[in-house]
Amino acid sequence: MKFKTFAAFVAPSVLMMLIFIAVPLLLVFGESFYRTSPLMEVVEFESCTPGFGTQTCKTDTKIAPALDASRRMILQTEFVGFENYADVVEPQKFWTDVKALDWAQLMDIDFWRALRFTLTFTFITLPLVLGLGLALALAVNNLTRSLRGPVIFITLLPFIITPVIGALSIRWLFVGEGILTRAMEAWSGTDIAMFAQSWTIELLMMFYRVWSSAPFAFVIFYAGLQGVNQDAVEAAMIDGASRWQRLRFVVIPYLMPLIVFVALIHLMDAYRVFDEVVGLRTQGHVISLQYLTYDFLMPDDAGNRSVSRAAASSMLTMIGIVILLVPMLRRTWADQKGRA
Amino acid sequence: MYLRKLALAGVFALMGSTAMAACTFENAVPLKSLSAAFEAWKSATTAMAECGNLAAELDQEFDKKQPEAFAANPSLYQIGGVSNGSITPLMNAGTIRSLDDLVAKYGAGLAPNQLIKVDGKIMAIAMMVNTQHWMYRKDILDNLGIAVPTTYDEVLAASEKIKAAGVVDYPLGATMGVGWNLGEEVNNMFMGFGGEAVNADGTPNVNNEMGLKTLNMLKSLTAYMDPEYLTADSTYVQQQFQQGKIAMANLWASRAGAMDDAAESKVVGMVEGAAAPAAMAGGAPATTLWWDGFVIAKNISDEEADAAFRVALEGIDTEMVTAHNEDAVWLISGYTPGRLAAGAFATAALNPPPYPSTAAMGVMHMAMDGEVGAFLKGERSAEDTLVAIEAAYVKGAKDAGILK
Amino acid sequence: MAVSRALRQPLSLRLTSAAFLTLWCLIAAFPIFWITVMSVKLPLDAFASSPWEVLFGPATLAAGKGLTLLDIAASLGLLWATAWVAMCRVPLWVAAFTPPNVIALGWLVAAAMLGLGFVLMGFVILPPILNWINSALGLPAILGLTTEHYRAVWVENAFWHNFLNSMKVTLGVTAISLTVGTFAGYALARSGSKLAFWILIVALIFRALPHSVLVTGYLPLFINSAEILRPFLGDAAPTLYGQPLAVIAVLVAINQPFTIWMLRSFFHNIPADLDEAARVDGCTHFQAFRWVIMPVMWPGVITTGLFSFLLGYNDFLVTSLLLDASNQTMVPAIAGFFNRETTMTDQVEAIAAAVSITAPLFLLVMVFQRQIVSGLTAGAVKG
Repeated sequence: MKFKTFAAFVAPSVLMMLIFIAVPLLLVFGESFYRTSPLMEVVEFESCTPGFGTQTCKTDTKIAPALDASRRMILQTEFVGFENYADVVEPQKFWTDVKALDWAQLMDIDFWRALRFTLTFTFITLPLVLGLGLALALAVNNLTRSLRGPVIFITLLPFIITPVIGALSIRWLFVGEGILTRAMEAWSGTDIAMFAQSWTIELLMMFYRVWSSAPFAFVIFYAGLQGVNQDAVEAAMIDGASRWQRLRFVVIPYLMPLIVFVALIHLMDAYRVFDEVVGLRTQGHVISLQYLTYDFLMPDDAGNRSVSRAAASSMLTMIGIVILLVPMLRRTWADQKGRA
Repeated sequence: MYLRKLALAGVFALMGSTAMAACTFENAVPLKSLSAAFEAWKSATTAMAECGNLAAELDQEFDKKQPEAFAANPSLYQIGGVSNGSITPLMNAGTIRSLDDLVAKYGAGLAPNQLIKVDGKIMAIAMMVNTQHWMYRKDILDNLGIAVPTTYDEVLAASEKIKAAGVVDYPLGATMGVGWNLGEEVNNMFMGFGGEAVNADGTPNVNNEMGLKTLNMLKSLTAYMDPEYLTADSTYVQQQFQQGKIAMANLWASRAGAMDDAAESKVVGMVEGAAAPAAMAGGAPATTLWWDGFVIAKNISDEEADAAFRVALEGIDTEMVTAHNEDAVWLISGYTPGRLAAGAFATAALNPPPYPSTAAMGVMHMAMDGEVGAFLKGERSAEDTLVAIEAAYVKGAKDAGILK
Repeated sequence: MAVSRALRQPLSLRLTSAAFLTLWCLIAAFPIFWITVMSVKLPLDAFASSPWEVLFGPATLAAGKGLTLLDIAASLGLLWATAWVAMCRVPLWVAAFTPPNVIALGWLVAAAMLGLGFVLMGFVILPPILNWINSALGLPAILGLTTEHYRAVWVENAFWHNFLNSMKVTLGVTAISLTVGTFAGYALARSGSKLAFWILIVALIFRALPHSVLVTGYLPLFINSAEILRPFLGDAAPTLYGQPLAVIAVLVAINQPFTIWMLRSFFHNIPADLDEAARVDGCTHFQAFRWVIMPVMWPGVITTGLFSFLLGYNDFLVTSLLLDASNQTMVPAIAGFFNRETTMTDQVEAIAAAVSITAPLFLLVMVFQRQIVSGLTAGAVKG
């Protein structure tokens, strides 16, 4: 294919990704080395509060943004180097805690706490999603043809349901005296509060993620199973391979590219875990890396937001995912080289 | 109910002239409003919409959009619903207009205490006041012979008795969900102990005796709460009350009306209101006073501002208040305080401070919100927590330009 | 295809596998089933502490809103009939009535008609008939159930407005994603150049980015776009905030990496000889694409399209931050008010809205289920 034709074909797609992904990303990268803040001044002001019937007024001083001639806030930008990163990572405290082997103190720093959860979440759900997906695919593949349709339909439900709604419905089932919490209480005979401590919340978040992601793995693996070479399976059987050996040495190797594909997608999606934090409202106990950035970005009551720290934390988040992806990327790289 | 207002934008085109009857004039200027979504705003914006051509957007996270939407030129909304907290960024950025002329022209019916003045200029029109006050199950307290607590020490004693009697799941409810509510509770208690969290020069001031007392009191209270308190917001506590799971809570006045709603509540007529308890004997109630009202954007034409102001006034007139008397503690003439408003009035009579709405307090509020949870869960000592709050505040204050 | 000997299994394995699937189906369907039950009860029942009260709705029944045996039978019948039509009849009709080159359109029309038919039957035609029979026979109501929340959501609250907005955004995202993506996917599959390889790798990294970083970056730009663009466009400069088109563009961009990777693998599996033959006959690349590739690419495009549809339909972060009330889609409209300070009646109405927005997805999967599996089998999954 000539370069010109190639360029014409990919241009719209590449252009959209450049404008809406690459450019914002570069801006964020730049931002992470600067601190932008409004110029503040001390002003004296009189404010009145409506009492019940009478109004109380008082004069006070406060620190408020200075405004220029056209009544706009004056923004100052200064280069701070890696200070934003240091504010997020707190390297000094990190080293002291690491040297003292003080895990609790280390988890006091939001960034490390978020990283700890994000990684645990990603690596615990990964094998569960792959395993459940594969088990479902094998089981459905065994089913008589007439039952496959309805079972596939039900299996796909958790995947298609709107994530925010799905997370909320899980929350309802468990929060307070939610129906499933009561069921567990009746069964175990103890008082259970799922949202009272971090580990049960993390368990719920992982349960939700496996529940909603396994169907994707299932449908990919199931489609893959349709293409398994029956001759190879029969040949293995004639050689005396047991059922498990046939699965292990014929079917799984055949599905390997798909397993890698699903693992890749799951790594990416689980690493940016966010819907669970918002939907299950866990920020009092558990936060994730993407939530940390979001939290920095959201303005407080007075409209302050920490854009620079958000930029730094999102860059760190990005570095993290690139590191996680390196083995996968190398594999893809090798594949591509081989193909070309 | 809520969706109806949410989708108003779509409906108004259909409403035609039939709905105009409730409004004294027909509005021809297309207008948009952005406000919070609680019951009182639903009532007010519906009444405004009766004048026609208003798209009302009700969003509980309105404060995330409002500063930027009003800073745009032209402003994306003409009318903004604010509280004394969320007006701060708009004031600071100078994106709302002074209302003196408009009040002189149309505001004859407004009470003087509805006019929110900053530096002598009217910047907002208040429609209601709100405060967290003490709500309790009168039947339970009477049966157990407990007097209505007036200090938090008495709250602890009363909770112990209710717990021992075992009549409800949890003696106390509290809006301690991390996100905003917890910061509000911490600050309430801290101010109740006489503290002022931020000095005049913008440096933090929580690592002291009052800070320690605040944290210890909050921790003692949590022993009587649903263990899931760190995820509890107002709706959750309101629901716990309605279902008879809790006996007492420091809850917003705007939530009181729901207790007597027969379609939802199992405790109709059993809940009463009283003044918010004081943190220390003889002190002011450990709560803050809030108001809600509307502002008009600066970056719009004078005709639009004129129409917006008139429409907004129609939304907070006597007619609306008589139809929705129980939705809030209204400041509007025609309001008759009901049984459940008594607590809010009793609180106000004891002069709690207004919420200190400044840029610095915004940062401090979120610092308290983010750090106290670890203490309540027992992962950190009170002393370390106070240090952590100050450290988090200093970082945020640097980003906000308050500290160098 | 006869079951091959290699796959024939002992009874114990079959039983284990059946038990496993049954358990999974229960877990998969339960949350959705439960919110559906809640949505048809009055608040006192929906949030009652006993599951039986939630299921049977005594308060709802006491309020005079209930179903008789006949009603229950009729509703179950309607559900079954819809599923049967969707899975067994629709594919045949589509095959019979649509010309092959617009097959995707045929599927969409069929899905929409099926949905419309279900709503008409369930909410307009059946209720009066059943009411008449019930009162004629004097059947007592036995199960507390009310559709008033659905009525409140769709009729009084004009939720259809949000529905139309959702459709606008979702169909826009799907159509543009696929158009832009097929060209790119085709070129990437046929070109072995270094550049193509790097585009794919960078796209993969973009796929991994946390969205909140990007989206919150857009907010100030979109709100102030009229001011920013005024020097270039004069007074015609648009405010992008609140514009469905702007949101569609953002979602398409976010969705591009996945789309081009999927489509590229589909095109890989279409033998390159096919279009090379056409090129030898004198076609340009574009003509070869139009006349040779397009007719055979539909399975892949439909599957990829479904993923795009899900992304557009389910998106919360982008739509909630960048759209205002008049253009708001369904997900932020509902999610907005689950979390918020509302009354319990509002919450049940929100649940009804949540169930309503899941319904079109149900339909879509019922109709397209075979396409998903066969599409994946045909292409993407071979790497």
